Parts: sequence; structure tokens; C-alpha cells
Amino acid sequence: MTIAKVKSTQRLVAVDREAAGLGLKAGQTLADARAMYPGLCAEAADPRGEAATLAELADWCRRFTPLAALDAPNGIMLDVTGATHLFGGEEKLVGEIATRLAAQGFWAQAAIAATPEAAWALARFGKTRIAAADLTEAALVRLLGPLPLAALRLDAALLGGLAQAGLRRIDDILLRPRAPLTARFGPHLHARLDALLGRSKTPISPRFEAPAYIVEQRFAEPLMRREPIEASLLALAEDLGKLLTRHGEGARRLEASLFRCDGKVHHIEIGTSRPLRDPALILRLFREKIEAASALNEDDPLERGYGFDVIRLAVLAAEPQDQDQIAWDVAWDAAWDDGFEAADLAKLIDRLGARLGLRRVTRLRAHETHVPEFAVAAIPAAYAPKLPALFVDPPTDGVLPARPLRLLQRPEPIETLAEVPDGPPLQFRWRRVLHHVVAIEGPERIAPEWWREEADFIKSERDAGGKPGSTFPHPALTRDYFRAENAEGQRFWLYREGLFSPQAPRPRWFMHGFFA
Amino acid sequence: MSPGGRAAELSFLRARIARIAADGTLAPRFGGVFPRGQAFGVATILDKILPQGLAAGALHEIVAARPHDAAAATGFTLALAARFLGEAPARSALIWIVEAMAGRETGEPYGPGLRLYGLDPARLVLVHPQTPQETFWAIEEALKCRAAGVVVGEIWRAAKAYDLTASRRLLLAAQKQRRPGLLLAAGLAGHAGELSSGATTRFEVRGALSPHLPSAGARLPLPGLTAFAVRIAKARAGPAFAIPDKDMFWPVLWDPAKASFRDAISLPQPAFSRHRPPVAQDALLAEEALLIRPRIWSAGDDRQGEEHAKARRGRS
Repeated sequence: MTIAKVKSTQRLVAVDREAAGLGLKAGQTLADARAMYPGLCAEAADPRGEAATLAELADWCRRFTPLAALDAPNGIMLDVTGATHLFGGEEKLVGEIATRLAAQGFWAQAAIAATPEAAWALARFGKTRIAAADLTEAALVRLLGPLPLAALRLDAALLGGLAQAGLRRIDDILLRPRAPLTARFGPHLHARLDALLGRSKTPISPRFEAPAYIVEQRFAEPLMRREPIEASLLALAEDLGKLLTRHGEGARRLEASLFRCDGKVHHIEIGTSRPLRDPALILRLFREKIEAASALNEDDPLERGYGFDVIRLAVLAAEPQDQDQIAWDVAWDAAWDDGFEAADLAKLIDRLGARLGLRRVTRLRAHETHVPEFAVAAIPAAYAPKLPALFVDPPTDGVLPARPLRLLQRPEPIETLAEVPDGPPLQFRWRRVLHHVVAIEGPERIAPEWWREEADFIKSERDAGGKPGSTFPHPALTRDYFRAENAEGQRFWLYREGLFSPQAPRPRWFMHGFFA
Repeated sequence: MSPGGRAAELSFLRARIARIAADGTLAPRFGGVFPRGQAFGVATILDKILPQGLAAGALHEIVAARPHDAAAATGFTLALAARFLGEAPARSALIWIVEAMAGRETGEPYGPGLRLYGLDPARLVLVHPQTPQETFWAIEEALKCRAAGVVVGEIWRAAKAYDLTASRRLLLAAQKQRRPGLLLAAGLAGHAGELSSGATTRFEVRGALSPHLPSAGARLPLPGLTAFAVRIAKARAGPAFAIPDKDMFWPVLWDPAKASFRDAISLPQPAFSRHRPPVAQDALLAEEALLIRPRIWSAGDDRQGEEHAKARRGRS
């Protein structure tokens, strides 16, 4: 059993079956328990570890249905509406769940009913485990009546009050008129009762949304080697392709879930830049992902364990996709090439994104701002197939560059020798090397955007008089940018931050970018 | 079919056959080398040294001469990429693969800076691999793609792993699709002499003083056109070809108006003359200005500049 410190005494949190048989209960103090049975072994409770295990188990239980919800602290709720025939009936499903969980070392009780509350009650307190979907209300009442009131999931105070009034079973509540009970115990009691009997519907909130399209395959023997796994992925991709074609859609995000027979699940997710339904391309993207994983984990990139016995391919996001058109006119060569070139680029972006991560392949988009760092933003190429040209006009700002070719992510502080108040730098020291300036262009004054309000925390920090060296970002200051060339022919973009004034602290200089 | 349509079809087919005959293979539209003698500009010094020009289905390496010249090497690479893209189909992409370490040390590519080379940043696809293996794989994949106009690969830590085999793989990928691959070996500054790979051409680039423009009233002049000093360390063009003057750094300027290189007469650091007459900017960029410029520098009391100019005129 597990123990935890509750209100400065060690109490028992959970007891296993043997301890329960001996008469120990949760909530007892450890001292009492040890007094009764000196030789008992107790472990510290680990609520986080238990929650993590429960989450993993819920993930694995998605092999039965994609809609699985956590029922803390020790239960899982599955919505198997319409799926029980896949397992040969409700009895067989309950039996399979119980055996598989027992094989993993858990002691589990499973029940099926038409409402979540009824299932909860039957699993914990009921003798029969199946409440068929087409039971009449009278039959349901007969089934659930003998259960104790704790099956309604009421809190302890209410249960105590009901026990004092002599009401111990669900039958007792059902047969009595509602009004006096509601007056004495509140509306909560009857709300639960209605939910139990199906008079009001409460949905479960599954951990993951049900995907739009699913194809899956179950194997009698678990798969271990990579070739059969890839072959089955290809077969599933073909089925998925037919399904998508029938609905006229293509997949943008796909997930392959490989369920191990011993309780773990391995997910592989890929994203594409255009709707996709070609099975060969889908398999290729999955292969790239597996290659990337095998670079990190040489022997077992898929974490096979004892093998996979269910493989499922789900489409998480789909978009309408028409049949590819082929243009037939005199300039057919150009149209053909254009169309295929765009498709080729999209395929390259998909492949690079699958292996390196979709965020690492980017394209640039212009922003309406004069602050140089934010003038262009990099967006993942997969989500930006069509971008307008950044510069509409050809370069007309003369033949001298206005912006550098490379920009440092963080401007580096430099020491300069410059005339005050706003003269250009005559020499500067950057990365411990002294540079003499022989030609300079500037200053270009870039002021912060005055129309943006300062964040509240910056304002309050400044009003409170922030300590020097504090880690809060100071408000943006005006920058004077210079394009400087040194004696070696290297050209830099550096700036002075802040205007010189007797009250303000001395302005600092930074290196921001490099020209060719 | 209408007669007009048939004529158009015939001309189209003729052009296609001519292309096939010129290339010798059923290659896609882009793949020809530059017109003779115009790889870098019009009869610049680099064209004279490399008469075979720059091949399209080949791997070209660019190395910086010193660590601080990384930006100059990048600029030269992009200038070459702009030259190649001028010959490529209108919407082909420029794929720039930056290894993570290179981005941290020398700065990330900045879109608006591409304007100097006449490139629209909307054509750029930036790839950021983390490890050297990913970098090489990404460069190879990009070279195999038909839609890529030019592939620029920047390697830093991968410089150690870059040897004959790796470069041979990239070269084969470039040859198959007839795409130029430009490899910017950012982590190898100064070690161009020790590099041995299967690349077709190798350039070593350092920054050079740009021709300064007079500034109105300020103490220091304005920096002028972008200038590089380029050494051709290796050029493969057949057994009988040898690079003349292999250790010499040739100065070139990049002219954005024409999107080509041009020769620069390398001047020593000019003595500042305060009696310089004001000259309009376009006059400075005219072809003749480069020849009369020595006279400008000597328009004050600048004896040294005049002597230099005389010596150059006598030499050329």
C-alpha cells in the first residue's frame, strides 16, 4: 500500500486487495495500521507518476476506440458507441480489455453501459458488468438499484447525511418522492440520478479529438521487423487514399499510431504543405521521419518492444483537393513544367520538413514595420505555399545597399570611439579585434514604434526604479544605424542605442549585421 | 488546327530540337552554361582567367580568406547565385541551407539584403539543419529537386567531414539535374589551401576596399560599390588547363544595376584630399570614370595617387 503525509500524520492512501481483506482502509493512520500488522510494507505515494501511468494507459486504450478520456484518479472512460461489433460483441470487448490489462500487471474491472455514469457505477460496485444498450428504463433500474449510494459519485458529507437518514442504496432514492429529498439534500442528488439513468446526457471529454479518417489493421501476431511494418503502412495508405478520393479531400496532417501489445503506443506524425493522397508519397514521408528517429536511436527507432499488433493511420487535418489538371495548349511545355515545378518544390519542402522538423524550413514574408528585425518574418514553408513577392519594384535605391546581407540574432555590444553627441564611430572593438573606420554612411535613425503601448510590466518596473543589471527588458530606444567600412574592406552595420542627453545614461553601441 | 496555331507549334518544336541538339541530352530547360566569356560580367578579369565560365551542373566552393571575411564570401556566393538565377526559369527557387552553427557565428541571412543582388526574398527557401549529416543530406536533396534554381549550402562543423566522398556525392547530384551547387565553407576560413574535394571550382574571397564616394561635408567618405578580392584556387577544365597566377587575389566590383561583376582598379588607401571637386554619382559609375578616377585623387596635392595612376596606365 502507499502512504502519504496528510495534515502532519502519515496516512494510508491506497491499499491493495490483500490489505483490504485484512481490514485496512484508506485514510487510516500508518501508526494504527502498523499497530495491527507490524509486518506491513508501505511505499510513498507518487501521484504524478500514477497520473503519468494512467495517461499512458489511456493512450494505449485508444486501440479500442479513438475516444478515450481520463477518469482520475484511477479510471479510464472509453466511448465505444458503434464499435463493439468489431470486437465480437460487448462481452468479448469487456473480457479482452480485462485480460490485456491483467497481462500488463494491472488489476482492472471493466463495464459497459449506455451512459458514462452507469458504466462508472457498474465497474466499481456492480456484480454484472454489461448493461446492454437497448435496456428499458425499468430493466436499468432493476440492474442499478441494489448498488450503494457511493455509486452516484457523491461527496462524503452528502453520503454521511444520507446514511443518517437511512438511505443507503439507489433503490431507496428512486422510490421516494423527489421534492423532500431535494429540499433536504440539494438538487445535486437528483441531477446525478438522472444522468445515471440516461434522462440527461453528459458527454465525456476525450483526451484527443476523433480524427476525420481512420484506417487500421490488426494482426494476429505482433510485427517486429521493419519491412512488414512499412508494407502494412503502404497498404493502409492505399486504403486511406481511396477513402480520401471518394470524399474529394487530401490529407494535410497524418498520424500513424503503432500500438504495442505490452501497453505502449508509438506515434509518428507528419505534415505536408499541400493536400496529399498518393500512397507512395505518404509512405516516403513516414520513412523520412523514421530515418530521423533512427539517427537518434540506432537500434530501435520505433521502440518495438515485443512487437506491434495494431497499426492505425489517421488523418488529423484534411483539405479539399481536386484532381490534378493538365493544361493542353500550345504552350503546354511551359504549363507542364510550371505545374510540376511547383509540385516538385512542395515535395522537397515536405521531405526536408519530415526529416528536420517543419519549423526548420522557412520562407520569408514582409511585415509593415521599419524595425529591421521584424521587417521580414520567417514562416514555415509548409504553411506558406503562395507568398507574394516581397519587393514589388526592382531595386531602385541606387546601387548602394541599404540593408545588410546577414543579421545577427542578438546584436553584440561593441566599444567605440565616437564624437558626442551623435558623431559616427571612428574606431570600434568587436570580438576583441580593433577596427579602424575608413568610410562611413549614416546615421539612419530608426525609432521604436511610438504607437505601440509599452507592456504594463515594463512600465511598472521603470516607475519603481529598476535596479541596474536587472533582467527586465528595458523599453526600446531610438537607434542610429551606421554602415561602416574598415581598412580591410569589411563592411558592418552597427548602431548606437539611445540618444545622448545629460540625464540619460551613456548610450551603448551594438553590432547588428554585415554587408558583403 | 488554324495555320497560326500550327506555325506557333512548329516554331516551338524547332526551338526544342535546337535546345536538345545544343545540350546533347534531353535536359530540362535550364542547364546551359553562360554565353562564352560572360559568366561573371562582360569580359571581366575573372572571365579571362576562367574562359570556360561557370558550369551549371557542377559544384562550386567558396571559402573566406579570414574569419572576418565570412560576409564577403556570402556576398560573392549570392552574386554568383544571382548570375545563375538570371539564366534559370522565372519562378525557380533559391534554396539556402544554413547550418545552425554558421547562423550563430556569422549571422542569419537577412531578406532585405538580397535586394542588392536583384533577388526577391520571396523566392528564397531557408533550411536550418542542426547537425553536419543533416546539412549534407539537405544539400543533396535540394540538388535533386527540379524546381530549385540554385542551391547554396553553408557548412560549418561539417567542414571537417567534407572530403572527397561527400563532395563527390553532391557533385553527382548536381550533374544529374544540371543544377549549380554553391558550397559556402564558412567554417574553413583561411584553410582554402588544405581543402581537397571533388568540386569543380574553388574561390577564396576576402573583403576589399570599395571605391569611396565623396561625402558632403563629413570627415569620412562614403563606402561605394561592393568590392571583393577573389582568388581562384581550383578550376577543373581539362588536363591542359592551368590557372595563371594562382596566388593572386583579383579585385572585382559588383554592379547591381547590371547584375554583373566588373573590374576594379585596385587603389591603395587614398590620402584624403580636401580639395576634391564634387562629382555626380552616375558619373562615377560610368565606365570611363573608373579610368579617370586616378586623376580625381590627384586633383589636390596627392602626388602618391598620381604616381600610382601613371604606373597603372602604363601597365594596362
